Amino acid sequence: MAEKAILYDSSKCTACRGCQVACKQWWGLPGETTTQRGTYENPPDLSADTWVKIKFKEISNGNGGVEWIFTRRSCMHCTDAACIRVCPTGALYHDPSGVVAYNKDLCSGCGYCVEFCPFDVPRAKGNNLTGIRKIDKCGLCGDRIGNGLTPACVKTCPSGALVFGDQSGLVDVGNKRVQELKSTYPDAYLYGEKELGGLHVMYVLTQTPDVHGLPAHPDVPAAAIATDDILPPLAYALTGLAVVGLGINYLVARANANKEAEAKAKK
Amino acid sequence: MERVQKYTKPARVFHWMHVGAFLLLLITGIILFVPAFGAAAQDSWTRVIHRIGAVIFVLAPLIQIIANRTTAWASVKRAFAWNGDDLKWATAMPRYYFLGDESAMPPQGEMNTGQKLWYTLLLIFGPIFLVTGILMWFFKYSLPSAVFQWSVFVHDVAFILIFLMFLVHIYLGVIHPMMRKHGGSFSSMVDGTVTAEYAKSHHGKWYKEVAKK
Repeated sequence: MAEKAILYDSSKCTACRGCQVACKQWWGLPGETTTQRGTYENPPDLSADTWVKIKFKEISNGNGGVEWIFTRRSCMHCTDAACIRVCPTGALYHDPSGVVAYNKDLCSGCGYCVEFCPFDVPRAKGNNLTGIRKIDKCGLCGDRIGNGLTPACVKTCPSGALVFGDQSGLVDVGNKRVQELKSTYPDAYLYGEKELGGLHVMYVLTQTPDVHGLPAHPDVPAAAIATDDILPPLAYALTGLAVVGLGINYLVARANANKEAEAKAKK
Repeated sequence: MERVQKYTKPARVFHWMHVGAFLLLLITGIILFVPAFGAAAQDSWTRVIHRIGAVIFVLAPLIQIIANRTTAWASVKRAFAWNGDDLKWATAMPRYYFLGDESAMPPQGEMNTGQKLWYTLLLIFGPIFLVTGILMWFFKYSLPSAVFQWSVFVHDVAFILIFLMFLVHIYLGVIHPMMRKHGGSFSSMVDGTVTAEYAKSHHGKWYKEVAKK
């Protein structure tokens, strides 16, 4: 199966938030009661019940006017995914389409994915005192794409800002669009072609990643590599050495103890 | 065989609480650490047990310190009463543990060098577990992610080292042939007594004091 991806074109996004609604509708996620914060952006943040949202930002257009910058917030489905690396139960994994899939039954609620995600995406819901909780995030509608459908957010998007298809094909589409935009937006950039080994959600950005609120150079945190690539082999090696060492000690000490006992018996 | 009392009842109760909490923490920790066991942690039950173990692990020594101030303090003082014999013990130790050669082992007090070392390491690693554990349990939403990330790392490093020390502790206590010759130290965990022969050879200084009484 070819790797799949979503391409989000921020220059075509009207922030209608249809994707937010379609996602909630398909997955049966409850709406959230929020308060008016003086912006059309709502809800204020991702949550265990909100897996995709559009972020609003106003910047000066340089002529005394204002330009609205929209950025999609959701799981980026990284190839080099920190969450998969740190997940202790295997609840998070890559499915054959390259999507960061999630088996909720297996989730222990540890929240490592929440803390290690370079894009601050997964959210936990439950009791933080007892630790009984589950994580939630976008799974790129694995059930829909497995049946030849497009993800719910893509299906509903009226402006063509969201497109679904083969990752390699969408890289070409995205780069072509960036070239078109360059004359109006010199900072236009295809985000996700190279980041973290390639993201399965790529963005055509009109501004630099910073302005969109995206990390310019997302990385798997060093602590994730130290904890999950270095410590386990070290632990197994040291435990093995300890067991072998103690075993040798046992055999030598027992042989000597027996010898001593025999010597005593002869006397 | 003659036996002498080495551990008081409060000390034994404290040790058993410590053992229980440690095993709860160890088992639920290993499940999360070894990927092959990871799936067993589903639905958070290991997290609940790990928290219960952590609370006992912290409360047990606090209760012991408050309820038995004098004996608890005395044992801390003994654990840090290092002297020249400790160095001699450390150099003679390999010959003893491998060859059963006791000739160079200096007579030890109520705590021998190995036990003092274990005590010191616990006083170092206990707080490391406590601080990183509290950071991960209560402060994950109020501190930067990097604090949580490195807390996981430090907690894991401490876990690996304490696990190795635990293997050695169990081995020397109940498995080593020389200890088995002396009846093992498991009985001292149950009724607090050790054989007089063991006391004489392993805690010579202390045995003399006890024998005087």
